[in-house]
Amino acid sequence: MSMTATKMLARDWRGGELGVLVMALVLAVGVVSGISAFTTRLQNALEQESHRFLAADLVVTSGRELPADWLLEGEGEGLQQALTLQFPSMVYVRDDTMALASIKAVSEAYPLRGEMTYSREPFGAVLSAEEGPGRGEVWLDSRLFALLDVAVGDEVTIGEANFVVAAAARTEPDQGSSFYGYGPRVVMHYGDIPATGVVQPGSRVEYRQLYAGAAPAIATFSKWLEPQLQEGQRALTVEEGQPGIGNALDRAESFLLLAGSLAVVLAGVAVALAARRFSERHHDYVAIIKSLGATSSTVNRLYGSSLLLLGLVATVLGCLLGWGIQGLFFSLFAEQLPVQPGPSGIRPYAIGAVTSLTCLFCFAWPPLRRLGHASPLRVLRRDLPMENRQAIYDYIVGLLAVTLLMWWYSQDWKLTLAVLAGLALTVGLGFCLALTLLRGGRLVGMSAGSIWRLALAGLQRRGKANALQVVIFAMAIMMLLVLLLVRTSLIDEWQAQLPSDAPNHFMINIGPENVQAIEQLLRAENITSEPFYPMIRGRIMSVRGEELPSTDDVQEGRRQREINFTWSDTLPNENRLLAGQWWEPGTDEALVSLEEEFAERMGLEVGDSVGFLVGSEPLEARVASIRQLQWQSMRPNFFLVFPPRLLADYPATFMTSFHLDEGNKAFLNRFVRRFPTVTVIEMDIVVEQIRTIINQVSAAINLVLVVILAAGGLVLVAGVQASVDARVHESAILRALGAPRRLILGGLLIEFATLGLFAGFLATVAAELSVFILQTLVMEMDYTPTPWLWPVGILSGAFVIGALGVFSCRRVVSTPPVTVLREL
Amino acid sequence: MAGTELEILKGITLEIKSGESVAIIGASGSGKSTLLGLLAGLDEATAGSVEIDGTDLGALDEDDRARFRGQHIGFVFQSFQLLPALTALENVMLPLELQGQNSVQEQALHYLRRVGLDARTNHYPLQLSGGEQQRVALARAFASKPAILFADEPTGNLDTVTGEHIIDLLFELNREEGTTLVLVTHDQVLADRCQRRLRLDGGALVQE
Repeated sequence: MSMTATKMLARDWRGGELGVLVMALVLAVGVVSGISAFTTRLQNALEQESHRFLAADLVVTSGRELPADWLLEGEGEGLQQALTLQFPSMVYVRDDTMALASIKAVSEAYPLRGEMTYSREPFGAVLSAEEGPGRGEVWLDSRLFALLDVAVGDEVTIGEANFVVAAAARTEPDQGSSFYGYGPRVVMHYGDIPATGVVQPGSRVEYRQLYAGAAPAIATFSKWLEPQLQEGQRALTVEEGQPGIGNALDRAESFLLLAGSLAVVLAGVAVALAARRFSERHHDYVAIIKSLGATSSTVNRLYGSSLLLLGLVATVLGCLLGWGIQGLFFSLFAEQLPVQPGPSGIRPYAIGAVTSLTCLFCFAWPPLRRLGHASPLRVLRRDLPMENRQAIYDYIVGLLAVTLLMWWYSQDWKLTLAVLAGLALTVGLGFCLALTLLRGGRLVGMSAGSIWRLALAGLQRRGKANALQVVIFAMAIMMLLVLLLVRTSLIDEWQAQLPSDAPNHFMINIGPENVQAIEQLLRAENITSEPFYPMIRGRIMSVRGEELPSTDDVQEGRRQREINFTWSDTLPNENRLLAGQWWEPGTDEALVSLEEEFAERMGLEVGDSVGFLVGSEPLEARVASIRQLQWQSMRPNFFLVFPPRLLADYPATFMTSFHLDEGNKAFLNRFVRRFPTVTVIEMDIVVEQIRTIINQVSAAINLVLVVILAAGGLVLVAGVQASVDARVHESAILRALGAPRRLILGGLLIEFATLGLFAGFLATVAAELSVFILQTLVMEMDYTPTPWLWPVGILSGAFVIGALGVFSCRRVVSTPPVTVLREL
Repeated sequence: MAGTELEILKGITLEIKSGESVAIIGASGSGKSTLLGLLAGLDEATAGSVEIDGTDLGALDEDDRARFRGQHIGFVFQSFQLLPALTALENVMLPLELQGQNSVQEQALHYLRRVGLDARTNHYPLQLSGGEQQRVALARAFASKPAILFADEPTGNLDTVTGEHIIDLLFELNREEGTTLVLVTHDQVLADRCQRRLRLDGGALVQE
């Protein structure tokens, strides 16, 4: 029997529908496993990347020296280790010039993750460092060169020791995003600390032990360490990475999962259509073998084993395709990824295989299973209608399977629902509209020319089948439009967020007396900057009259903490009000506006009272509004904003951000010399990195779009094929009766194009709904209607379906009608 | 089906003895094929019963009827009904395989030799002429050693000369194997070669 099954498969390959079935399966498995493997590996890479911001996998920090036996314990676990010590200290030159600096002493192994960068001259070309400064050497922040009037090779003094300036310190992986250290950075060797004599008991210092190694070893060590920690000693975990990249990648991941889910639906539909046609074409075969004594279980075994064989082949091919797809994605990324992505493991391919099995079982098997019930009487009477009663049951099973697969795959109910809502609208509206419009078509067609009459009569005759076909075309087109829309708005938004002139430097600690002069200087140099925001440092003390804990042990959550705030009469650029109202300009009420996540962390809502300590003055304010910020915008952003009058009496400094071209970096040297107290923070390297990664992600998304387009194309092909037999047969009769080629092809073109037109219209309506839900609920973007979608969706539907239809039926005019009639 | 119910066959009572050859004749639409479908257990009668060798076909479900057909009944059709994916030999082996028999290839080859197609065993139906295809169908029908052979217009798709060869072969094999033969045709000459002729007219049986 198995011989017969393989033979049948080989022969049926020529029928075309098995090709569609296998290709649909291969694509589904390929896209699903490829995307899944890609996101898994990307997540791995990002997790490693986030370790970079600790310069290690695990960090212990304390204000007092940390026990040395912890290092021994870590060594026992095979962990790499490094030490750092940070403290503020004066740096002198020739005893007369000095500046307060934030000194960081690092051991040779530092950093364990990520890398330090330096340059040979202040603000010069950035180089990556294998290790920090050697004994007796220091690296100075670029600004310090101007402040201390030194050059590379000069000597500076810290405490009782002298050091040679070896380079300009540029970045450290764990320098943190806080701008408010003790001053410009000086990096020195850990072994030189005793010689300086500046670190005494009671000095304000921060000791760190850094550990890195394999994940299990880190976990074991961390577990051992936990109970050893005394008050004031803290183990640092990986905090969120750079928000700009994180956010972009989150959305990219949503997009990829959406694409994967759509691939599953499209593939499911293509598989179902192909299997249905396969089953229709096999009714006669089954009738013959049943007349020869085959029972329905024999028939089911025969087709079941064929299907299983096909499924296995398709799954293997699909996994190979998926492996290729994720490989291709990573080859796009390879240069930009800071760390090598780890292996994806077997799970993505298991997901692909499950997808394939589900498609087979829920989409392909139901129509094939009905073959078992085919009547053997067809051997005598070919005109016997086929068994079709359980079709509705098949649709329900299919819908359920698609929903579960989509959910399992995206782990996101909202995303699943958005797609389902679009699908439901397509199906529901589709049948009503298609039946109504197709009926209306005949009234018009009655008086039209003969091509039109032929076409519209064809549409009318197969009303129900055509309605189904319209719905299927509409589903495929809808999903492609959804993906196209989401992709376009995603990429547009990214580009808009980080335009090529996005701010890439911050300026803080600007004294009020310097604001005007700096504004003038920037204008004179043709440098565009954001507005200057006042900045006041204070401490949040109480919430709703309840004192917050003052402990430093909790990093997150409710506790007293130092915080920067600003004042403004207007809602800052790029901020969005989520709750409450913005105050009247000039108000003297004690109000405050909070950033969304800050409010959440503190458990604050509009109307609550909050107590602050600014300098030594207490300040009580009521929450007036809650805002959403664009952290990745590279503009000054504040957790808290007060009305100007409330803070007018407190001392403030100002901050701004501005864009500086790479060729213009020398400006910073002049600037720092003129305004030595202002701190300039260079973000250009980070901004460039974010932009590059976003470009790569965009490329990956476009690639996915192409793959899904192929899947959508397959559905269209399968959908057209479904009706080709009947149409070719009719056309052959017309041809035999002497109808010219032009009439037949013209009729077919009009018939299919009309179906495509209806499908395109439905798809556009449903796509707008889906995209609305997706953008507002899943991607958290602003929804904008897309007028261009309507002509594009509707016309491309008519054009593509019309062309595919004529192409699929072309043999009716290229082969003698008698051949066609005999074959069918 | 909507509309009034159609009565296709009316009050037919008929007995066919073992080893007998019977022709059912009548014009198109007289109900010949319907009667054949019922007699051969391909169809279920809405009323009345069909009994073969003491088995009431109406009491069996479709799967039991399929097994019954496999063991007791052979078919020859007007349009041959060979499986295009299988070679001539495989087509003949198919019913034997369905019965779960062993060494089916030997038996199949024997019947292919008997119909004179030993040189074409590995050809596919599309590579064979109409007459050759019907000979494969004959080999397939007799290979499973059926008690009854139903033939539905066996020469309907063939030219006269080829048709006569096929009929000669059919009756020869029928004699050799001692099979009961029920033949549906509108060809009077063919019908005359049977021992008994039944004429169907508007669904009713008219004895010749």
